Amino acid sequence: MLHAMTDTGDSVPALRLRGLTKRFGEVVAVNSMDLTVPQGSFFGMVGPNGAGKTTALSMAVGLLRPDEGHAEVFGHDVWSDPIGAKSLIGVLPDGLALPDRLTGREVLTYLGLLRGMDRETVARRAGELLEVLELDGAEGTAVVDYSTGMRKKITLATALLHGPRLLLLDEPFEAVDPVSAATIRTILQRFVSGGGSVIFSSHVMALVEQLCDRVAVVSGGRVEAAGTLDDVRGSQSLDEAFVHIVGARTGGAEGLSWLAS
Amino acid sequence: MAGVLTEPPAPTATPEVSLFRVLLEMRGAIMKRRSATPKGLAGLLALLVVVLLMAVSTLLAGVAHYAHQGAGADVVAVLTLGWLLGWIIGPLFAGDDSTLRMDYFKLLPVPADRLSWAMLGAAFADVSLVFSLVAFASVTAYGLRSGAAAGCVGAVATLLTLALAVVSSRAAVCLLGPRVSSRRGRDFGTVVIALAITAFSLASSLVPLAAKILTEGRSPALSATVRVLPSGWGAVAVAAAARSDWAEAVLVLLALAALVVGITATLPALLRRRLTMSTRAGSRTRVRQASQSRPILPTTPFGAVVGKELRLYSRSMMRSVSLMIAFLVGVFVCVIPGLSGAKLMMPFAGLGFAAIAAACFTNLYGDDGTALWLMLTNPPTAAADVRGRQAAWALLVGPLSLVLTVVLTAVSGERWAWPWVLAGEPALVGGAAGLTVWISALSVFPPAADGGPTPQRQLKVNLSLILIPLLTLAPAALPPVLGTVGHSAALRWAGVPVGVVWGSVLWWGLGRLAERTLTSSGPEIFARLRRTG
Repeated sequence: MLHAMTDTGDSVPALRLRGLTKRFGEVVAVNSMDLTVPQGSFFGMVGPNGAGKTTALSMAVGLLRPDEGHAEVFGHDVWSDPIGAKSLIGVLPDGLALPDRLTGREVLTYLGLLRGMDRETVARRAGELLEVLELDGAEGTAVVDYSTGMRKKITLATALLHGPRLLLLDEPFEAVDPVSAATIRTILQRFVSGGGSVIFSSHVMALVEQLCDRVAVVSGGRVEAAGTLDDVRGSQSLDEAFVHIVGARTGGAEGLSWLAS
Repeated sequence: MAGVLTEPPAPTATPEVSLFRVLLEMRGAIMKRRSATPKGLAGLLALLVVVLLMAVSTLLAGVAHYAHQGAGADVVAVLTLGWLLGWIIGPLFAGDDSTLRMDYFKLLPVPADRLSWAMLGAAFADVSLVFSLVAFASVTAYGLRSGAAAGCVGAVATLLTLALAVVSSRAAVCLLGPRVSSRRGRDFGTVVIALAITAFSLASSLVPLAAKILTEGRSPALSATVRVLPSGWGAVAVAAAARSDWAEAVLVLLALAALVVGITATLPALLRRRLTMSTRAGSRTRVRQASQSRPILPTTPFGAVVGKELRLYSRSMMRSVSLMIAFLVGVFVCVIPGLSGAKLMMPFAGLGFAAIAAACFTNLYGDDGTALWLMLTNPPTAAADVRGRQAAWALLVGPLSLVLTVVLTAVSGERWAWPWVLAGEPALVGGAAGLTVWISALSVFPPAADGGPTPQRQLKVNLSLILIPLLTLAPAALPPVLGTVGHSAALRWAGVPVGVVWGSVLWWGLGRLAERTLTSSGPEIFARLRRTG
């Protein structure tokens, strides 16, 4: 098993989780989790269903109060200094509602003004985001009528609008068509090459291998392995390394003899 | 997996198995599971008692004696209309055909005609039809009072009306079903429920009026209307038989039978359309594009929230219909008695509207579901959110309520009411602006899995309907009460400034409390929304 990576150099990490714990009754969803995401990294968080990825990310962005531990964004504690932390992050949660009777542009305008940005800046950035994310063809459509891919894209736009330094994305590629996924991927790569940091959770190992320079394998509420991609996967593929680290058994080979091709 | 390639594919359809029997078994299993819990069983028993009472009282209305000639037929026709509407609207209450949902059959390789007949058969082989049979037998009872022959005509009419109810209900499910299962359609289902509740509350003031008019024979137009509708044909046939006008009786019964056959014949086509229809067909709305700069609202977080809220009030069906219902109920309950001369209530229509409009919006954060994440992941915006929601609600409800109050008080001629209603207006609108956000922040009830409101949410709305007028109006009503008792005009009018001050205090103070609650326990509120939402 590999150990959670340590800080690189003197720079403050983009995100640092220390001893983060969350229990739901008897179940420990996140168990004293430590994780460091260095600045400028493209960080993938992988793990089986129910591993605690969403719970950990929720605590890191201020959506879920931890029972124990700390989450820091560029040195600002998310829970004791929320203004400092939250003005630096952009969040894409999985499956949460938006004011969905508004159009994409209206959602962005509303959120920009809510963040205290001036109207001209909001209008300019909203226009650019809608165009780059190819949502400008749906100007008259309310978000409630968007497809899943369009919803992901408009939520990504809300995360990018204020120019954050760290993006936290929960399953950004889930149920997204290949074209939209490619668009999202390109935007995230541009964001990182421009000095931004990204942490995202995913089930798709190939995607994580292709995009990320760092990766953490989460299972049973703990970080089982973390570090650079090569550290974690060694000589195997990430897929194989994942199954090995998580200790899972792949099923599906027995029975079903009647299942004709 | 060697057998995979060698075994033959399973048969795709089993015509020898009666589809009808399968449907019956399936429904039986679903019903059994549903009434298996003590709560489900208690609910079922309560429903049985209520429906049985309604059916028996309908039957008794057919037996009763009415002084006015022909009033019996009118009353039976009206009650039959009520039951028939129940059959048509009922499935919408359940969100679709509640037990045998059409969507279960979408992918089956069964022709729509066969499925249609099987489903119709299953609909007829339903024990709960007994209640409707008892109710529709009121026309038989009405006929028996004029002799055995008219009774026989009534019995045929009863059976035909029951058949009409069943086939109309199937047709309604096919026609309205698709909207009910789409995301926007659930809006529609919610709206139908809301409208039905409204109709019931309005009926409490309208039905006595209509019954009185019909039994006294005061309105030939109303009487003609209820007889022209298919629900009234049975009564018309019996009335004709009672006059020994056999030709008319038989013709009307034949017309009723033809209608049943006609609707039945369209069912397979309707079912085919329903099964192949996209659930989103026709449900999209194009939002009118506003011009780029519309600087009516301030370019601040507060202005942003007001703008968003005002748009939601006009675009979210649940919100706009709640406002409409508040308006209709508030106005009608106070104005309908005025039609028969009792104008005492008319000045209070504006206050009634504001009170209902307030109660409907006491679950703002719950109704928005998990959208609260936007507030939690942004730097602190609770203050702007609370103040913006208060302002948007007051902007919509306040002016309209004031106009209603002024116009209807003037029209009613109840001059004594002026100091009362003018003291109540600022107290209620201002106070409710505070109470709506405070109650919304204190307790959140997220939408049910199907997007509709939960019973707990409705209970909260009903309690708020009592609480909000009490808390806001009591202090403002005190000076008018004292002034009336002490015969002091000055004291009576002192209620107006008291109302203004009290309304402002509640608006500001409760808004501040709501803001604190959201700031201190935002993540806990969000957790409740996420768990059940």
